[in-house]
Amino acid sequence: MVVPAVMLTVGLMVAYPVFFLITEALNVGEAGVFPPEALGFGNFIDMIEDTKVLWNTAFVAGISTLMAVAIGLVLAWILTRTAIPWRGQLERLMELPYYMTPLVGALAWGVLASPKTGFINQAWRFAGGAGDLVDIYSPWGIAWVMALFEGTVAFVMIAAAMKSMDPSLEESARVMGAGKLRTALTITFPMILPGILSATIFVFAEMLSAFAAAFVLGIPGRFVVVTTAIWQATSAYPPEYGRAAAMGLCLFVVLAVAIGLARLILRKGSHATITGKAFRPRPMRLGRRGWYLAAVCWIYLFLAVILPLGALLLTSFQRFATVIFADMQFTLQNYVVAFRIGAIGSALTNSLMLGVIVATIGSLLVGVLVWIIYRSRVPGRALVEYVVMFPQAVPRLVFGLGLLWAWLVIPIPIYGTLWLLGIAYLTVLLPLGLRTLAGVVVQIDRSLEECARVCGASWLYQMRTVTMPLLRPGIVAAWLLIFISSVRELGASIFLMSATSKVIAPAIVNSWLTSSTELSAAMALLQTVCVFFAVVFLFRITRRFSGDPA
Amino acid sequence: MTEPDLRIEIEDLVVNYGDVRAVDRVSLSVKRGELVTLLGPSGCGKTTTLRAVAGLEDPSGGMIRVNGRTVYSAAERRNMPAEKRGVSMVFQSYAIWPHMTVFDNVAYGLKVRKVGRAEIVENVHRVLDLVQMRQYADRPASKLSGGQQQRVAVARAIAFSPEVLLFDEPLSNLDAKLRVTMRVELRELQKRLGITALYVTHDQEEALAISDRVIVMNGGRIEQIDTPEEIYRHPGSLFVAEFVGNANVIEGQAETTPGRDGSLGFRTASGQMLRVAPGRNASGTAVALQAAYIDLFPPGRSDAPNAIAGTIHRRMFHGDFIQYLVDWPCGQLLVRRPPNDLFAEGSAVVVSFAPEYCVLL
Repeated sequence: MVVPAVMLTVGLMVAYPVFFLITEALNVGEAGVFPPEALGFGNFIDMIEDTKVLWNTAFVAGISTLMAVAIGLVLAWILTRTAIPWRGQLERLMELPYYMTPLVGALAWGVLASPKTGFINQAWRFAGGAGDLVDIYSPWGIAWVMALFEGTVAFVMIAAAMKSMDPSLEESARVMGAGKLRTALTITFPMILPGILSATIFVFAEMLSAFAAAFVLGIPGRFVVVTTAIWQATSAYPPEYGRAAAMGLCLFVVLAVAIGLARLILRKGSHATITGKAFRPRPMRLGRRGWYLAAVCWIYLFLAVILPLGALLLTSFQRFATVIFADMQFTLQNYVVAFRIGAIGSALTNSLMLGVIVATIGSLLVGVLVWIIYRSRVPGRALVEYVVMFPQAVPRLVFGLGLLWAWLVIPIPIYGTLWLLGIAYLTVLLPLGLRTLAGVVVQIDRSLEECARVCGASWLYQMRTVTMPLLRPGIVAAWLLIFISSVRELGASIFLMSATSKVIAPAIVNSWLTSSTELSAAMALLQTVCVFFAVVFLFRITRRFSGDPA
Repeated sequence: MTEPDLRIEIEDLVVNYGDVRAVDRVSLSVKRGELVTLLGPSGCGKTTTLRAVAGLEDPSGGMIRVNGRTVYSAAERRNMPAEKRGVSMVFQSYAIWPHMTVFDNVAYGLKVRKVGRAEIVENVHRVLDLVQMRQYADRPASKLSGGQQQRVAVARAIAFSPEVLLFDEPLSNLDAKLRVTMRVELRELQKRLGITALYVTHDQEEALAISDRVIVMNGGRIEQIDTPEEIYRHPGSLFVAEFVGNANVIEGQAETTPGRDGSLGFRTASGQMLRVAPGRNASGTAVALQAAYIDLFPPGRSDAPNAIAGTIHRRMFHGDFIQYLVDWPCGQLLVRRPPNDLFAEGSAVVVSFAPEYCVLL
């Protein structure tokens, strides 16, 4: 009974937009008319003929992937294999760039390194340099920002591969007489290669579908990649929905193949070392050199978190952003404006409200779903998991695109309201919640529940006294993650937002493109503060939970 | 048809996992105050049988009765939920709830039964005293060592005075030394409180030491039900002989007519003539002989039963006993002797064993 209902609801929420995406991609008649008047592959041919966009995308994604994987590899090696001061705390702090979001990062680096007005270039000229030292509005600038914020994803994946290797494999090579270098080349590297390879492909897929940095830093310089091309196609007049859909569909297919490949490599190439058991290899003692390696980690955090936030903070309190002390004019005006301008103030309120509602409904839903998938013996539960997890494979932007038409066409007056945004958030964020809670559920030994039953507890009493209390940290973590993700959601929101239903992330982008940098900085900081409080709660809860040998 | 003294009765129990028959027409019973062990290798169906009694599995056929009440019956389409069966269980993983204190863990079964507060406190303290964990009552359960969790699990299982106690490999997660200590304590507790218990283990030594009766299972079926001494001395099948103790299996052919003392003649494959004991349902093509029942004498002794000359091939000192590998006409023989019974490697010996310990399979 429950399963078909869940399947139908989730299936509708997922399959319906995807169906519209496909029809629109094949529509060569008038845009946005449903059902299409003429079908054909014209949109796909248009896309392939636009080689500049494809080349730009491949270039930025390629460069940024190389940089991100290099960052991830270095950080992972330092933090899993060497004994540097404050290793545990540093490892935790490495999550921060992920919560910073590429949008805030791109804005901040725009403030820091834009030609002429960027802080770095101001300082350069103040010190007597000529022209601009750096230009962030370039393919390299975009790749730099994307690498900085995706580097932490590469780090997490590669560190996981490194931790899952049994250190005795290396130790036995050493005992057999191999030196450090030979051990590294013949044992360590081949063992972690599948992990690195699959992380590289995964990061590349993320880069292909990345939107925020390419949008904030690419649009001013008319440098277009596939994601920004999709946005441009929809906002052009007349809108080229067909071409946007064709690009979105291709992006989705490429991504699905890439992620499938990454998983395959990880599974097939792992030499059966990945037993799910985490090892802590004996870290190298480095003495004084440890401080240098720690400094490398701190430099990364400085570039990805401290410097950008500092730049935004400084900008948001100034009338005209500058780092030349003599020219600084401090003001609170930007914050006053941010709150007073109805559209912006309400965007933040809307985002927070949506965040709370989506997180609350989402975490409850996830609780039920997790129980169905991992604990019940309902037939078809594997299919439920598959359907719920599906939106994860669709780029947010593409999913937003699909939703846009899906609800434009339907006669229910939901388009342009917060309801649609809520539905979209719920659909795209359920996989995140499910994964979070599933991680907790699989750790809870089934016999803990069985024991309650044998002790005489009814199912309800067992749920109340054993299952729920054990799940609580997981549910709270899922709530916070969904909340954080919906407050900072950009890809889907940018298509679904309307004048009467503004949310914060697209509002910041609009302000950046159309009004002042200083105001945008203030708004970005307000969003970051909201996310920051949620992250602090999250860290405290997850630490308390992981410190508990359940 | 129900004897009043039977606490657990299982008849023709069948449990399927998909296409795999995990338990295949198992029938057994446990009397009041008796501890019966299900012994077998992993995958033999012992744990599944136990869990079926607890109500944690869905059987496909047969009948289970606990304390005279039918809790499962395929014929009557009855499958009582676990909480209504009045059994209790100690889990292999202990299943100590990490979010509660020791006291709350132990009190759980009593709270479920809506026992009064004073009675709960009294009972919990009583059982915590029994397992010597009284001073840990207010400790969070997540802060206990393995052995302490084990004690709490036992206390929790007996706190609400269940009619039947089920043990699912309760000692398998403890280290060797502690396992032996806890084995003694468990048996002591079970005897003192007169608990009726069904106990699952894959450790034959544990099964022999702790049980009133042992049920050896293999491939979902019961191989033999007997007292520990009988299982050890008179294995009923080749499987039991190889699984329990350290038996030598010697192939050959039995003669059909018993001698004056009831023993049978047995001609080994290599032509030796042995006097052996008749077995139940024996096919007569092999005999089993536990390593500990074999005597070794210096050469020249010929008055002993089944006296055959051999040579010490290898000697291994184990502390509590010495294990010899003896070359003899039928190949190699495993022999265990007390540690004061020393023979040098390479020396000639006479192997001897009483016919009653050499059982026809």
